[in-house]
Amino acid sequence: MPEPLMSARGVTRRFGDFTAVDNVSLEVAPGEVVGLLGANGAGKTTLIRMILGLLIPTEGDLSLFGQAPSRETRARLGYVSQGLGLWDDLTVTENLAFVDGAFGSAQTPVPDSLRGAGDSLVVGIGLGGQRQLAFAAALGHKPELLVLDEPTSGVDPLARARLWDTVRDQADAGVGALVTTHYMQEAERCDRLMLMSRGVAVAQGTVKDIVGNTTATEVRTQHWQQAFTALNDANILVALAGTHVRAVDASEDDVRAALGEAGVKADLVPMQATLDEAMVARERATA
Amino acid sequence: MKAMILKEFRELRRDKRTMAMLIALPILLLVIFGYAANFTIDDISTRVVGPGSEQVTAQLPDLFDVDADAAAAAQDTDGDTQTALDLVRDNKADVAIDTTTSPPTAYIDGSNLFSAQTAKGALAQMPDGAVTIDVLYNPDLTTAWVMVPALIGLILTFIGTIITSIGLVRERQNGTLEQLAVMPLKPSDVIVGKIAPYFILAALDMIIVTLLGVWIFDVPFNGNVALFGFGGAIFLFVVLGLGVLISTASQTQAQAIQVAMMILLPQILLSGFIFPLSAMPAAISWIGYILPLTYWVNISQGILLRGADLASLWPSFAVLAVMAVVIFTAAVLRFRRDLAPSSRRKSQKSSKAGN
Amino acid sequence: MSAWGARELTVTYGDTVALTNVSVDVREGEVLAVVGGDGAGKTTLLRALAGAVPAAEGEVNAPSLGSIGFMPTAAGVWRDLSVDQNIDFVASAQGVTGATLAERREQLLADTGLEGATKRLAGQLSGGMRQKLAFALAMIHRPPMLILDEPSTGVDPVSRVDLWRMISQAAVDGAAIIMATTYLDEAERASRVLVLDGGEILLAGTPADVMANVPGHVADAGQTTDRARSWRRGSRFKTWSPDEPVEGVARADDLEDAVIAATLAKETSNA
Repeated sequence: MPEPLMSARGVTRRFGDFTAVDNVSLEVAPGEVVGLLGANGAGKTTLIRMILGLLIPTEGDLSLFGQAPSRETRARLGYVSQGLGLWDDLTVTENLAFVDGAFGSAQTPVPDSLRGAGDSLVVGIGLGGQRQLAFAAALGHKPELLVLDEPTSGVDPLARARLWDTVRDQADAGVGALVTTHYMQEAERCDRLMLMSRGVAVAQGTVKDIVGNTTATEVRTQHWQQAFTALNDANILVALAGTHVRAVDASEDDVRAALGEAGVKADLVPMQATLDEAMVARERATA
Repeated sequence: MKAMILKEFRELRRDKRTMAMLIALPILLLVIFGYAANFTIDDISTRVVGPGSEQVTAQLPDLFDVDADAAAAAQDTDGDTQTALDLVRDNKADVAIDTTTSPPTAYIDGSNLFSAQTAKGALAQMPDGAVTIDVLYNPDLTTAWVMVPALIGLILTFIGTIITSIGLVRERQNGTLEQLAVMPLKPSDVIVGKIAPYFILAALDMIIVTLLGVWIFDVPFNGNVALFGFGGAIFLFVVLGLGVLISTASQTQAQAIQVAMMILLPQILLSGFIFPLSAMPAAISWIGYILPLTYWVNISQGILLRGADLASLWPSFAVLAVMAVVIFTAAVLRFRRDLAPSSRRKSQKSSKAGN
Repeated sequence: MSAWGARELTVTYGDTVALTNVSVDVREGEVLAVVGGDGAGKTTLLRALAGAVPAAEGEVNAPSLGSIGFMPTAAGVWRDLSVDQNIDFVASAQGVTGATLAERREQLLADTGLEGATKRLAGQLSGGMRQKLAFALAMIHRPPMLILDEPSTGVDPVSRVDLWRMISQAAVDGAAIIMATTYLDEAERASRVLVLDGGEILLAGTPADVMANVPGHVADAGQTTDRARSWRRGSRFKTWSPDEPVEGVARADDLEDAVIAATLAKETSNA
């Protein structure tokens, strides 16, 4: 087992009385893409800011490349923030030149998709282009660890697929990556996931591990409106998929009882819950 | 309609900066123009020097506030007797009357525009031949002569506070400040790199405005250029420090502009270049004495118009220097905190080890 | 049953063409998901339906403004007002009063889970909570048509499921709903999907139809030789080709595969 690029052990961060991150442990190994999931306010951003060295843990140990976060560790790290961190009033090439200057890296080439737009201001290249540029800027100095905070929000599916190709190619070359995302399809592209809720790491592992025993029951009936209302009234977590109704994390008996009370006849098809359904079920259980 | 108005009031009540702008500023302007902005001054600091000063003092209208004790003291010191001219140059009086001439000569400090205008008018109404009037430094009482040195300070303040804070907050607002913080840059590099451009811009502007003032308005440059530049540099550190401080306390550019305006406007009105501080009620004038622009106006008018030297201007220099050290240091420390939290790491580690 | 929507709609801003020849139906009891990246034309279409931008060509058929609930991107609540004050303001603007308001307020608070937080400022709510509140406010007058511009963007998955349940409920109750989204898993659960790309329709229909009717073929294999037309799914590669693939199984597994394949097909035909 290679030494982890990033290792957090029992990391806690408090702001006054509020505990934003509570005793979290996480490692990222070379070549591994680790996904960080959780609701807004679950503590993902605080954890990332500690890994970046922007915040100091109140308790616990955090090491990057085997040492405490410092100016040297920052030089080996690539970061794409949610807001992208590009300078709007600079052109594409000027942005890359600044980053090269800061990292002491060789001239980072303008990404293929932006060829010919090197002299455009960042505002003029669209969100998809900006994401490509932010990736290029973060990769220019050949970092060993990538930290990507919701790296693909707002781009079309093909552009998103292209950005993920980049991430996976980097991982194939031995780079580790820590990615936060709200896209369940992105979560499924990670090697490993950590789910956070209220500052605590509530689950770790593959998608399968996190979905665990959470079930969903698809209710197939012509009277789907009534079925939806009946299940909702019975306080069962319910969602619509086309004209099918999905009851999440409820036993088939409970679903049948709720439908029976409303006089709705339906076929019940048990299914595995999706990742997001499993996350909601967990959240409801701990609330 | 009613709901809209209600909603608007509810929102406004929580927006403290806008509220401050909406309420405090009109009140401030009202107070200033109501009490302080009396262009005819009813209190002019005056000294009478020479033999028979008591009789001359008795003849003067009440407007002239003669400091008799100081005049006596000045007379008593042998050899170094301060002449009426010295008193005006060193800003110890707005009007100094020399009784050694016949008729006595009233020297008026023309760099203190509104006092000078009032004094000149009142003296001219005295019986023919009672005094000879000599307006020093700004004999025609030209407004530009008084305004230009002060305007230099105002422009520096504008660049230093508003422009600097906007530039720094833009970085925070776009999230690029965070990007800078995660790059392997030294915090000092980032801070100097961010502030130096504004320092240079402001210094250039200072030179240009000074030259324009001299060429176009014939503002005299009677004093030492190096001293003027030295004073300008100190003043720049004060206003840049203010700009950086504003930026560290603002999340958006709009917030920064609002705070900067709150700092800028009192300086325009209360720094003594429009209305002399000595003519203001004490309740207002003390504000003027905590504003950096007040001291800059004193320095720049002193050097340009009166040719004053460090020996007479040192109190203003000292106050500005203290302000520069305190404000700029505080600003840099706060900025650094945004960039590099690791400086607190050591203290935390050690306190933990102590437990 | 009336169908609202647009016929051969083209919208321009000055010289820029934002939408080209887009036709769409928005039906009662249905959720229509409009999908596409930044700049695809989603917001323009929604704004045209709400009557906020004029049609350069074609026509828009929508109920009067009073019968539309509109939820703009990342807005729709007043952050400096409390939850209660937000409800008061929107209800009063929409003319909802008395017992109706009391009943809808109760329902809204129960749906959003904000019962205990009526005095909190909307700006202090979490992003997910705020979007749920914004949605509930947009439909406080129970309009027959709801236009939602990216209600779930940036919202965490947990709140998103909740929000989707509320949107589903509105459709179940008979509203015609059109919503823009960047989440394809969400679009996959809508009644119908409209995929926009560069202001044009890329794909349209029920999610199942869209997946079945992808032009060309999508192969699923462990390796690929054509990186330009392939994308990764987990450890495997999907490759689009205009012809029957030599190896691998030909299918689009989900809406994401379908949209990527259709985008590649469009690029190929444009090239």
